[in-house]
Amino acid sequence: MSSTGAAVSGTDRAVLERVGWRGDVDGSCQVPVGLFFVSAIAWLMVGTVLALLASLKMHVPGFLDGTDWLTFGRVRPAHLNTMIYGWGSMAGVGVMLWLEARLCRVRLPLQLLLVVGVVLWNVGVAGGTIGILTGAQTGVEWLEFPYPWSFLFAGVFAVVMAASLMMFSGRREGHIYVSQWYLFGAVLWFPFLYVMANALIHGNLATGVVQASANWWFAHNVLGLWFTPIGLAAVYYLLPKVLGRPIHSYYLSLLGFWTLALFYNWAGTHHLIGGPLPAWLITVGVVGSLMMFIPVTTVAINHHLTTVGHFSRLRVSPTLRFVVFGAMSYTVVSFQGSLQSLRSVNEVNHFTHYTIAHAHLGVYSFFTMVMFGAIYYIAPRLTGREWASARLIKVHFWGTATGMAIYWIGLTWGGWIQGLKMDDPDVPFLDIVRYTVPFLASRTAAGVLMTIGHIAFAVLAWKMFAGSGVRLVGPTLFTSRRPAAIPGGEV
Amino acid sequence: MTLIYLFIFGSVVIAGLTAVYGLVWAVRDGQMRRFSAGAMSIFDDEEPVGRMTDAFPGEGNASGVGVGREP
Repeated sequence: MSSTGAAVSGTDRAVLERVGWRGDVDGSCQVPVGLFFVSAIAWLMVGTVLALLASLKMHVPGFLDGTDWLTFGRVRPAHLNTMIYGWGSMAGVGVMLWLEARLCRVRLPLQLLLVVGVVLWNVGVAGGTIGILTGAQTGVEWLEFPYPWSFLFAGVFAVVMAASLMMFSGRREGHIYVSQWYLFGAVLWFPFLYVMANALIHGNLATGVVQASANWWFAHNVLGLWFTPIGLAAVYYLLPKVLGRPIHSYYLSLLGFWTLALFYNWAGTHHLIGGPLPAWLITVGVVGSLMMFIPVTTVAINHHLTTVGHFSRLRVSPTLRFVVFGAMSYTVVSFQGSLQSLRSVNEVNHFTHYTIAHAHLGVYSFFTMVMFGAIYYIAPRLTGREWASARLIKVHFWGTATGMAIYWIGLTWGGWIQGLKMDDPDVPFLDIVRYTVPFLASRTAAGVLMTIGHIAFAVLAWKMFAGSGVRLVGPTLFTSRRPAAIPGGEV
Repeated sequence: MTLIYLFIFGSVVIAGLTAVYGLVWAVRDGQMRRFSAGAMSIFDDEEPVGRMTDAFPGEGNASGVGVGREP
């Protein structure tokens, strides 16, 4: 692994003087991180089509019902898994690798292995999705891919983990920035969790009620110990970097990380309130969920006070728009999630569309929007090109932001009333189903807006990575890198 | 059944212990001192405090972030 800093050869030193250490580090990420992003965006489009199909089927039940593999029971888990393992995880790993290289100030190691990892990961998601659509899904939520594909993911996790540890052990920056702690949480805990959950569930070690508890311990932690730390790491880096303002309270940021590390892991069993589990087991999950008020409050205070007085900057920075939208959503979704873990609230919202709105507020409104913002920041630095169109970026933002707002408001409102009606034995079930139909139609309308945004993003990404974007000279964004000076760069 | 519960909760506890170990290591390593310096560690002379580092393509801004394009 070559590195920046003092221990470089004469040739490297000459290059570094021209490009600066950031240019050198970004150049080393170009191929692996670029491939993670391109793959992620391709899966985002596949997942979007599946999402629209599933949404339509909720209020037009006969839509495309003549083909087995297009039935709701297959399309819906195929949507979930392509978004979680295809879009979210691949975008997240790309952002994570770039951030770690930046924060450790070293070039990305294991580049070839990571490229192989991208290929294997894509094969896994494609094989798993085909498995779901052809009826071979496992029926375990968030782990629906036929289990042999999980070996591929576990192998790629090992490479990503190794690259992360190599960067950390060879770091040139003495201080461990808060984002690095979050990334460590993600890359060291989640693969362990993934392997453990697969062994318990697919190895038939945990069956029946115990399988359900293992399932929701895992599924909740996909958000808590994978997407959340990666998303917050990106926010904690990008918000101050874009604004040019250090984090308001660094002390609070670290308090937030360590309390998340101690509490989030316990929260999953609140998904099983009302289920035939020992009450103490669920209470552990409720307590863990409520303790999350501490890290969420610290993050909310910090993000707000770092940005306050500078909201006008959202007009000029695409990254900032998406990241601030995501950060605000994090606060809302987290407080909402803690409250939902209370038994009195849960008995209304459980098994309703309210929960679906909540899940999308987390995975989409928070995590996905932050990933969009991060890719807008990182991709020009990988390719040395500018984004092709400010207008398309705005279409992307407004399509996804208004789409998500309509989605959340419609299903939160409709879902809560649905829950109240379901708790009333005097209301016939079919009346409740009919009541939800307009809200489900509003979800499809929201999905169309989000799709328009995704198409704009895919066009921009195509132009960026296929090489038709405008080249930078005095970059958006930073003055030290000249694309031609990156050894092995493709400019 | 009891063994499986122990397995699951043992895993939770081990994950929690890794967090505690990391925290103890961080305190001993001095990572919890000089918080303001920590917050500044992502800035330097090339990208100093006070300068924005992102803008829409083709649009500059008051902080001096501009987009240069090849003619």
